[in-house]
Amino acid sequence: MDPVRTEVMKNRFAAIVEEGSSIAYRTAHTTFVKMTQDYQVALATPEGEYFAYPYMSGVTNFIGLSLRATIREIGVENMSPGDIVICNDPFGSEGMCTHTMDIHLLKPIFHGARIVGFAWAFIHASDVGGAVPGSISPTSTDVFQEGIRMRATFLYRKGELNEQLLMIFRDNCRIPDQNWGDLQAMIAALKTMERRLVELCDKHGVEEIEGGIRDAMDFAEMKARSVIAAIPDGEWVFGDYLEGVRNPEDTIFVQARMTVRGEEVWLDFTGSDPQVQAALNFVTGDSSHPFLGLAIINYVLTMEPDIPINNGIIRPIHTHAPKGTIANAVFPAAMGNRWVTVMRVFDAVLGCLNQALGGGPVTAGAGQGGIILCAFKDPATGLRKASVVQPLIGGSGGRSSADGIDGVDGPFGFLRSTPVEAIEVDTPLIIRRFALQPDSLAAGYHRSGAGVVIDMENTDVEVLFTVRGLDRFVLRPWGTNGGHAGTTGRAILNPGREDERDIGKIKVLEIGYGDVLRMMTPAGGGYGDPLDREVDRIMADLRSGLLSRGRAESDYGLVFAGDAVDEAATADRRRALRAARGPVAAFVYGPERDAHDRIWPRALRAKLAERALTLSPALRNHMLDDVRDSLRAADKTVDEAVLDAAVAAWIARHGAMRGREKTDRVAAE
Amino acid sequence: MLRIGIDIGGTFTDFAVWREDEGGYTAIHSFKVPSTPPSFADAVREGLDSLIERFDIPADEEILLVHGTTVSTNAVIERSGPPLAFLTTKGFPDILNLQRLRLEKPVDMFSNRPPSLIPRELVFEIDERILADGSVDRPIDAAEVAAAALAAKEAGATGIAVCFLNSYRNPAHENAAGAAIAAVGNGLDVTLSSALWPQQNEYERAIVAVLNAYVKTAISSYVAEVEEYLHERLPRARLFITRSNGGVMAARVAYDEPVHTLLSGPAAGVTAACFVGEMVGSPNLLTMDMGGTSTDMSLIRDCLPQVSSQAEVGDFPLMMPVTAIEAMGAGGGSIAWMDGPVLKVGPKSAGARPGPACYGQGGKAPTLSDAYLLCGYLNPDFFLGGRMGLREDLAEAAMRPLAEAMNVDVVTAAESCVAVASSNMLTKVLPFLARLGVSPRELTLVLFGGAGAVHGPLLADEVGIDRVLVPRTPSVFCAFGGIVSDLMHDAVRTVHGLNIESKDLIAAFGEIAGEARSWLAEQVEPEWLGETHLEYHAEMRYIGQSFQVDVSLPETLAAAGDMRAISDAFHREHERLFNHCDPGAAVEFTQLRVRIRGRMRVPGRDGLAVAESIEEAKVAVRRARFGGRWRDDVGVFRRERLAPGNRVPGPAIIEQVDATVLVPPAYSAEVGEFGDLMLVKEG
Repeated sequence: MDPVRTEVMKNRFAAIVEEGSSIAYRTAHTTFVKMTQDYQVALATPEGEYFAYPYMSGVTNFIGLSLRATIREIGVENMSPGDIVICNDPFGSEGMCTHTMDIHLLKPIFHGARIVGFAWAFIHASDVGGAVPGSISPTSTDVFQEGIRMRATFLYRKGELNEQLLMIFRDNCRIPDQNWGDLQAMIAALKTMERRLVELCDKHGVEEIEGGIRDAMDFAEMKARSVIAAIPDGEWVFGDYLEGVRNPEDTIFVQARMTVRGEEVWLDFTGSDPQVQAALNFVTGDSSHPFLGLAIINYVLTMEPDIPINNGIIRPIHTHAPKGTIANAVFPAAMGNRWVTVMRVFDAVLGCLNQALGGGPVTAGAGQGGIILCAFKDPATGLRKASVVQPLIGGSGGRSSADGIDGVDGPFGFLRSTPVEAIEVDTPLIIRRFALQPDSLAAGYHRSGAGVVIDMENTDVEVLFTVRGLDRFVLRPWGTNGGHAGTTGRAILNPGREDERDIGKIKVLEIGYGDVLRMMTPAGGGYGDPLDREVDRIMADLRSGLLSRGRAESDYGLVFAGDAVDEAATADRRRALRAARGPVAAFVYGPERDAHDRIWPRALRAKLAERALTLSPALRNHMLDDVRDSLRAADKTVDEAVLDAAVAAWIARHGAMRGREKTDRVAAE
Repeated sequence: MLRIGIDIGGTFTDFAVWREDEGGYTAIHSFKVPSTPPSFADAVREGLDSLIERFDIPADEEILLVHGTTVSTNAVIERSGPPLAFLTTKGFPDILNLQRLRLEKPVDMFSNRPPSLIPRELVFEIDERILADGSVDRPIDAAEVAAAALAAKEAGATGIAVCFLNSYRNPAHENAAGAAIAAVGNGLDVTLSSALWPQQNEYERAIVAVLNAYVKTAISSYVAEVEEYLHERLPRARLFITRSNGGVMAARVAYDEPVHTLLSGPAAGVTAACFVGEMVGSPNLLTMDMGGTSTDMSLIRDCLPQVSSQAEVGDFPLMMPVTAIEAMGAGGGSIAWMDGPVLKVGPKSAGARPGPACYGQGGKAPTLSDAYLLCGYLNPDFFLGGRMGLREDLAEAAMRPLAEAMNVDVVTAAESCVAVASSNMLTKVLPFLARLGVSPRELTLVLFGGAGAVHGPLLADEVGIDRVLVPRTPSVFCAFGGIVSDLMHDAVRTVHGLNIESKDLIAAFGEIAGEARSWLAEQVEPEWLGETHLEYHAEMRYIGQSFQVDVSLPETLAAAGDMRAISDAFHREHERLFNHCDPGAAVEFTQLRVRIRGRMRVPGRDGLAVAESIEEAKVAVRRARFGGRWRDDVGVFRRERLAPGNRVPGPAIIEQVDATVLVPPAYSAEVGEFGDLMLVKEG
């Protein structure tokens, strides 16, 4: 690794991709891209690994993504200067595309006859056709409802636009002009990056550039390895749940097994539930995928903030999810809403990391990001207009060195809120409240961030809300090392009125004139023993109004004398509470999850998932749901014999006719 | 008449002086005195004392004194302001905490939003409500406000910032609250968000009010100190304070509206660059102000600085239109270090104290300035005109551990530090230009600040800029900005959601232009005002878009309310910025803005005598390091002996008392008619 070339070339590459990202953003057409920055560009090696990835704008969650499968599908030998490959097929690209709305472009960069790298870009298209405007519906059951799908194909061949392909694409989405505009913005960025890289090759020689690429990636790898090396060797398992799409009580299980040996880490998601008939799945292919390793990648970026941003980071991180599971779905899985699943995968890996480190960086946060859309009739035209009201996330978990963040959870930290004053101009809503939720702080030595509450009053005849991305309405975010479990989300119609109604996890809701919809986000768990929290930090929360005196007494063991804390009595009370309680638990899940786990211990739940995966794809969800629910209703702790019997009975009942033969075939495979 | 510009930096306080009857641009004098933190006014008094003496200023001479100060900025960055309370609409106690939700660096598991300047317990919710159309939903109760004012005082607050929802559309409740607090008479200072900047977006508007309240004490006590001095020594001086928009305002306005000074520091240099660029015929400039710890960049197009309404001061957004500045953590004091096997430069800096190792003030870490010295760019005996000797031995000792780690000689290590620093800056410059849609080849780089003229030409080469302008007084350029800046103010009206027609537009522009004119009338006696310009801007977007485009409108269009022509101007600007537009799509207005400029007396153009030869300017030949090897033939020139027409081929070094100009091998420097240097890349 050359000490100067490594840094100078890394910087030159970074300048190119940051410039490309800025061009793409500046010239993009759709409001969605402008608002959410859901796009990115990068430079990749001829093998399809990013050697430079922007940090200042666009999506950061794809660091570590591989273009290998897409390049293989086309074949390098078939590529010429001026080609641009387009692809939005998650299956063929082995998870390069993480749902059909993400349209990816690849441009081989030639220096002479040699491919020196690829310029890459993707954009989240606001619509690619399918069942609903925007193409994402949580209830989509297969990929066909999620719009047009294009396997890796030439959009440009030797500089020549493939007009037929473009026409087919345009005819199959609701906003063809805007999509094409966004793609042209990406293409402008690709061309600039190509030109810059070629200029660098001209100026410094191809060997020097290739050497710089190697150095920059090796340096990133070295730093990632040093972070992993500081994690003790060993193996840890953690399970967490997503809540169902149809019934919130339906649990979808995600399990991570983390193995650390020396400077490398393996993440195995065997035991996670089979893919579901909802838009919660994603594809991760056969090689390491950033969506599975996100918690570790972010941990590396946290510990080594100056690390070069390239795929060297993911080299020592090995991920695997069995094909057919929710985290490595196969055709024809639906994926629109996969981000909430990625969050649960994140939490499961975090659970492993926290065991490995005897604590870890952070405990579970709100773990969800609800996007509230409201549709109403334009008073002038009578046509239905839709407007994003607000992203609703919730407090983060407590951290090893600090309290959690109020109102936002790290992995959703890229979202910006909409000013209330803009909402009130753009929609018929009056926002009556948008504030932190008092007493939503999960207690801990480092408490969680506070949840958020919003009250929306309708001033129109009717207004239709659609909300996606909600979760943690039933099971709380967990606390670490004695920190309390967090709070769940809620939605209430007409709070404080006679017709008040708790309406749970909303998907679609129509409300009338004068109705008020209140939404409360979850808040993450606490970190560390609340009885250790310094009195002055508790008093600060009290003064702020986010913590009540009752909670200060019950959660933190404070004893008050008038308005002041009686320090001696507090110490006594804390001693007594500690003695009564015993040592703190590594994880605090809260009563709902404890009740669930009493019936379904983690290991047995993983076994159920694995058994389901052996069945024919058509039967997996049915068997799993039926066995899960019937044994839960039986209200007894599941053991292996009970599980075996229940699965066998189910197969005998439903699988015999349709599934037996196939089941055997799959099992044999 | 004397016009004086003063700019305070961490190390030096700079003075630029122009006496009207002595000539124009080339007759400007400049000097520096060491800054005296934390009592910055001491250096100002000292400098003015010596100025009075040197220029033999009679007590009755008319003086325009323009002062740039970072007192307010420092108060925000150091969070050293007084305890404040915040009054807001019931239901929204967390405007200052929730901010816009977004985290600066979401992947960092330990990231936080910046803590509010006002703790939650000093936030008072008032049960009032105005709706988006300006109508009153719940009336305000003065008694409730008075109770809050009493409670705030009781809790130790010295001032109150007020931001009610939708006050940008109807300020009645904020005004009522202001009156109610004043009526309590307990000495609480009040800032109303709608009075300062009535723009939609409650968080950003609240921050304007909070920041204003937060820096009032610091600014007022500082300005009062300077005014007191002037009253005694220069009774006919009029004091003006530089603003973040690149203009100036009367000192007494700064007492009430100090928020306008928050980003004034770098803005004055950009104003100066506009002036010089226009004079030498370079309308498109990239400015680079490189000091000890950081470098500020900005873009000038067609002699106008780029304006940003998304600037930041410390941890907080500033939504008012200010001169757009991009800051980079690279300066002469940036420290080089080994990150494992790899060489890094910055972002840590040795700062002013102890400074680079070669300053001999106890600094041990190798810095960029040490690297410049070792590469032969700086003259150890002529730094600050010889006022400060540079120690090559100390620079070498500091650089040696890096050289050993990399297994190269000390000079190679030094040159590598410079190369790494250039590449660091490249990662900021390219995306900065790309965001603005400008190609480096269209631009001239303007260099100022202590280290700008040394490193700037090397950066130009790395970025692909072929022309580099070094003004006459690069190291006091911000002070010079005070001599050429205008009285300048912006007035705004949010019209988002209103169905604006031609007559509404005419009326709204008329109103805000009236506001701007009455502001100007408050600043200075009419006889001091020269030309006045009004600039009209509309923020517009396609219906359904979530971002707006600032469209500059000729006065005739704005005055006539020609909607068709205004839409066309929007489409053109959209095309220029984003490379596309949709002339068939419906367009809406979100905001209207007027900027007024009142010119005061500024120096004119006065050419210098053309040079006869260059021989006497060349004072030495020395060796310096370029492209990995020593060049022994590097000519050294004294800048004050160069005259228009002189041409200095690179590699060369041009030294002046307060700066060193590096002319890299591929460039040559020409002296322009006003004494400015233009470096041009050959071939």
